[in-house]
Amino acid sequence: MTLHPLIESAWMNAVLPELILSAGGMILILWSAFFPKLRGTTAPLSLIIFIVAALSENALKGGNFFGGTYQISAITQLFDITFLLAAILATLFAREYLEREGIEGGEFYALLMWGTVGMMMMAKGLDLLVVILGLETLSICIFVLVGYHRRLPVSNEASLKYFLMGAFATGFVLYGTALFYGATQSTNFAAMTRYFATADASNPMLTIAFVLLLSGLGFKLAAAPFHGWAPDVYQGAPSPVAGWLSVAPKAATLIALVRIFASMAPTFHLARWSTMVAALSVLSMIIGNAVAIAQRDLKRMLAYSGIAHVGYMLIAMLSVRDQSVAAVTVYVITYALMNIGAFGVVSMLAKNQNDPQTLDDIAGLGFRRPFYGLALTVCMFSLSGLPPTAGFIAKFYVFKTAVDSGYVGIAVIGILTSIVSVYYYLRVVYYLYMKEAAEGYAVPVSGMFATGALAISMAGIFVIGIFPTPLFEMAGAAAHALLP
Amino acid sequence: MSSILSLLLWLPIAAAVLLMLVPRRFGAEIKVVGLAAAILEFLVSLSVLGHFEEGVAGMQLVEARPWIPTWGITYSLGIDGISLWLVLLTALLTPVVFLSGWNAIKKHPKEYVIAFLIMEAAMIGVFIATDLLLFYVFFELTLLPMYLVIGVWGGANRIYAAIKFFLFTIAGSLLMLLGIIYMAFLHFHDTGIWSFAVTDFYGMHYRSLATEALLFFAFSLAFAIKVPLFPLHTWLPDAHVEAPTGGSIILAGVMLKMGTYGFLRFVLPFFPNATAKYGPWLIALSVIGVIYGALVAWVQPDMKKLVAYSSVSHLGFCVLGIFALQQTAIEGSILQMVNHGLSTGALFLLVGVIYERRHTRRLADYGGLGATMPVYATFFIIAVLSSVGLPGLNGFVGEFLILSGSFQTQPRATILATTGVILAAIYLLWLVQKVFFGPITNDENRNVKEIAWNEIAAMVPLVVLMVWIGVHPNTFIRKMTPSVQQLLTTVQNRGGAVMLTEKAR
Repeated sequence: MTLHPLIESAWMNAVLPELILSAGGMILILWSAFFPKLRGTTAPLSLIIFIVAALSENALKGGNFFGGTYQISAITQLFDITFLLAAILATLFAREYLEREGIEGGEFYALLMWGTVGMMMMAKGLDLLVVILGLETLSICIFVLVGYHRRLPVSNEASLKYFLMGAFATGFVLYGTALFYGATQSTNFAAMTRYFATADASNPMLTIAFVLLLSGLGFKLAAAPFHGWAPDVYQGAPSPVAGWLSVAPKAATLIALVRIFASMAPTFHLARWSTMVAALSVLSMIIGNAVAIAQRDLKRMLAYSGIAHVGYMLIAMLSVRDQSVAAVTVYVITYALMNIGAFGVVSMLAKNQNDPQTLDDIAGLGFRRPFYGLALTVCMFSLSGLPPTAGFIAKFYVFKTAVDSGYVGIAVIGILTSIVSVYYYLRVVYYLYMKEAAEGYAVPVSGMFATGALAISMAGIFVIGIFPTPLFEMAGAAAHALLP
Repeated sequence: MSSILSLLLWLPIAAAVLLMLVPRRFGAEIKVVGLAAAILEFLVSLSVLGHFEEGVAGMQLVEARPWIPTWGITYSLGIDGISLWLVLLTALLTPVVFLSGWNAIKKHPKEYVIAFLIMEAAMIGVFIATDLLLFYVFFELTLLPMYLVIGVWGGANRIYAAIKFFLFTIAGSLLMLLGIIYMAFLHFHDTGIWSFAVTDFYGMHYRSLATEALLFFAFSLAFAIKVPLFPLHTWLPDAHVEAPTGGSIILAGVMLKMGTYGFLRFVLPFFPNATAKYGPWLIALSVIGVIYGALVAWVQPDMKKLVAYSSVSHLGFCVLGIFALQQTAIEGSILQMVNHGLSTGALFLLVGVIYERRHTRRLADYGGLGATMPVYATFFIIAVLSSVGLPGLNGFVGEFLILSGSFQTQPRATILATTGVILAAIYLLWLVQKVFFGPITNDENRNVKEIAWNEIAAMVPLVVLMVWIGVHPNTFIRKMTPSVQQLLTTVQNRGGAVMLTEKAR
């Protein structure tokens, strides 16, 4: 085995966005430490850094780097942009939220940046160890961000819960990786692909390793039955963080999973591992949608709806094909727009953040703050998958892929659970427009940044919903890059 | 390529978007703009009628642009003899709604007008889309505004009714979506091309009759809920009773027809064998609906509920006519869809008028109104007679065509359904008698304000059309004949061919 030079000549090229974000985070921390009076500028500054990072994607050249452990291709760029989009939306919502709560500081945005770096590593890693490194970088940032509202008991509780469960889940991922290494003598996806091309599908060690890996990553996805943490953590986390947390880490985990599944493709199908994924998918759709009905707390409801949406995304992953990767990509981007938008409206509700934010808090909002009402309505309809929103296109793509790959039964379950989901999404609209606000409920604050973020979300939802072709082409090219 | 259908489709949406930007304090001006847009839309629809060529069976004024080319989804519009009158009905009823609610809608007038304009565009889209997915998009898009209309401007129990309406419809339509995807997949499998164009599915080969039957049921369920067919009708009385007058007019006038239209446009030509096999079941349900709806209407103490159940009964006739698979019956069915839109729309409007004044819909609270409101009573009685099927008015023509056509292929069902005509006379005349005749027993009925200008303006076009269709139905029927003929040829050729191959095996 030859030792590759760790740092190749083009290494700058490979990690330029990561470098920008890492350095940007440090600058922000120092900025807010040295100029405490200029606290208001940290958010615009971090927006600029995110945008510069997004622009730097253009300068990247495709290829494999760092001894074949790091890939730049159409799909990593598309996912990088998705992560940055999620971070930008979260930043926009956080600006006014943090100011209102009196907890603004550069470190918040720095953590968002470093978390994004972790996700980029997960998306680009061609080696399980790189994926794990990214996952850990991300997780540490999440622990802090969830507990960022440090004087609130719920925020602390959420952080602790996520930390304990997350550490446990990482253990599973590491153990699964170790077993794979034992079997294949490598953690590199290319080597694993070669191994699995001729692997004995009945080898129990492989199955155990896969179960461990799937459990650990299933936790990060909040797929049932590994979803228990999600409602509590989302409820306790600051709302902009919850929105980001419900989207971006899932996207990063999904692309890592796609690579893992692809590298094991023959065994994945032969040993019926796809059935396990199908089980996760069905359980997530049923549990997520059924339990969401019982929620009155908006963030908990969105948490359960998120569990259900992971179920839908997993439907597309049952077969490792171009189509399914493209479907997942489209779904993730769509989900980022609509879910962060929904959490964003919740973040504008001015009330003691230690108390649950329930449906009663948005009663009558549709006529008091028409723009927020409209935005939340659009997000809800998109989440329930009604045309002409992006949510419809994404769901359609997933179901089409399922029918295409012969999983009609699971598509039927998906459709039936979607009908259930309509009920609780509609209930939000009902509170927005058909219920009078009770006495004493504060009208939510109105903020320029949040309004801008909602405008971005809504525009994205409608543009993808009505003119999806450009996104399809990008997703198709991305899928082709991952599965040549 | 003419783009008049696009104009028809996008004009209300453009008006709605424009109105969204107008501040809320201009409530009165918003109403005027809304009405003007709706009337303009009606004029455009008249111009569509002018461009429509009689004697052509296929789609006319066709437009097609790629929409999602990777999946073969196109933005394609067209109009034929089946959809023509439904489009015109939609364009007519929307200004009627705005006129009738001119003074009644005090809460959030801006949102009310926007909701109805978007609904109008979506309904027209349903009737002129010739791509299955485009159709589906509009089919679903009608739900959101109607949900808001019932939920925001509705009666006391409006939330329950709105959610029930939404969930019933979406349950059916989501299963239909899966059916659509599966059909496109089968088409792809056979031809290697992704396509959602309606005509591409007319010559579909199914792997087995069971597959065809499953798809038939996926589509039929969606449309049966929408029509609604017994026993899926339970959402309808709730929705109608709770909806504001305008919502009821559109719901009964146009939305229910999206179900019957769906049967005609998709179910019959897509699944000829399953239609031959399972059509009689739907006929049975429709006949049950005719009689059951009439009997339940008979015992309703609430005027609006009575009219709602009469819809269940009348729409049963339409479905009977469709599945009779006979030229005259189908023509009658299409005409009856329009008739029902006119007469039931008028009845809901008039019930709304009196409710506005007296805030009760209980039959027992009325009596002798004929003396205090003679003009109102005249309109009401014309609408009732049209609904009953008095010769000379539109209802008679539609029902007669359906029954005489159906009798040739489904004599037993037709005989049973005919009792519905008699029952309709009973419960509707009963309604007239209780409300308008007899002595005034309730003092509050002595000083009821007569029907107002805006309500008269809304009623007049409806009454004119009732008489026109009643006296000279051929104006309307001759435009649909070629399209219906072609539809039946499609159904019978395909059905016959597959029957033969099945036998040969």
